[in-house]
Amino acid sequence: MREDTRTLVFAAIVCVTCSLLLSGTAAGLKNLQQANEEFDVKRNIVKAFGIDISSMDRPGIEATYEKHISENKTSDDLPIFMWTEDGASDPSKFAFPISGKGLWSTLYGYLSLQGDMQTIAGISFYKHGETPGLGAEIEKPWFQKQFAGKKLYSDEGKPLDFQVLKPGANLDETSVDGISGATLTGKGVQALIRKDAADYAEYFKSIKGN
Amino acid sequence: MASAAKKLLMDPFSDNNPITIQVLGICSALAVTVKVDTAIVMSLALTSVVTLSNLVISLLRNVIPSGIRMIVEMAVIASLVIIADQLLRAFLFDISKQLSVFVGLIITNCIVMGRAEAFALQNPPKESLLDGLGNGIGYGIILIAVATIREFLGFGSLLNHQLLPDSYMGNGLALLAPGAFIILGLLIWGQRTISKYVEE
Repeated sequence: MREDTRTLVFAAIVCVTCSLLLSGTAAGLKNLQQANEEFDVKRNIVKAFGIDISSMDRPGIEATYEKHISENKTSDDLPIFMWTEDGASDPSKFAFPISGKGLWSTLYGYLSLQGDMQTIAGISFYKHGETPGLGAEIEKPWFQKQFAGKKLYSDEGKPLDFQVLKPGANLDETSVDGISGATLTGKGVQALIRKDAADYAEYFKSIKGN
Repeated sequence: MASAAKKLLMDPFSDNNPITIQVLGICSALAVTVKVDTAIVMSLALTSVVTLSNLVISLLRNVIPSGIRMIVEMAVIASLVIIADQLLRAFLFDISKQLSVFVGLIITNCIVMGRAEAFALQNPPKESLLDGLGNGIGYGIILIAVATIREFLGFGSLLNHQLLPDSYMGNGLALLAPGAFIILGLLIWGQRTISKYVEE
């Protein structure tokens, strides 16, 4: 019996010590971690607007975000980000979050449109678990650069059938090259762009009408 | 350094390396060795965890009730790993994003539990600390060696500095798990030939 009591007391002490230590660490570092995550989101929104951030440092990116970007909600309560140039009163570019399944994981990113609400201005992916060197190429500049200038909506504001094709296929204004060895990731990107473009079609149609 | 202590620290570097001789910790050696910077951070994280867990468990070795010995070891290791993960998220956010679940999986890395069971439970704190440090570094040496080869062949770069011209296409095999298996296999072969280790 004495041995059992000792075991129980020891286990209790270990539990309490470990949990105190962990909650202390988590509480102490929470602010820093949150700041990191918020900054990561901001960095990717700035990037999605087609801005080259590779030579910008953290304060530079934060300043750009504060200066140009504002957040809003569509009438369907979907988040929308607006880019306003210096001195302009109306936003000139719009971005919205995109997400959907790749091969191994859910992909998260942002897509932005030019002021004509048809042409893609830029895209970024900030979270995914795809294979490095294959599916993970979606985060590389060569892949993302292709999207700028492509058409997402028709003149009437209807979503076009956006395509991620096999590398080397003939491209038109609604298709981009896929990644060789990562066909399924490409299919995922195509599907998520179509889905989110459909979700936002009404919104862009409504502001275009104004 | 006294020769006994030196042996404790240096043995796992080559003659008793946890990866190439004992074939432990293979999972992370394949998973986080695509780039050198993630391999370095992973090695540092594992080294600090195994060193501290060895120290703590060695300090507790005479008071841990034998019935719950393993659970106590797990609690100590898991706590240390979570603290390491939290620190990475706060201070090395980009790398911690790339390492994703693999920092958390240090908990199940056989090297950590193995050293606690096989060494720290029977030996005093100072020796256990050296043993943990040695095994962590031994693990790190292999991890960084594999990552150096993979990053160079796969991207033509080292530590994200481009070494080969842009026309270099990159070897996709080196970036995938099979490439890591081949490189690791060659390293194990080389290592065992040098140290004349034979599986019994």
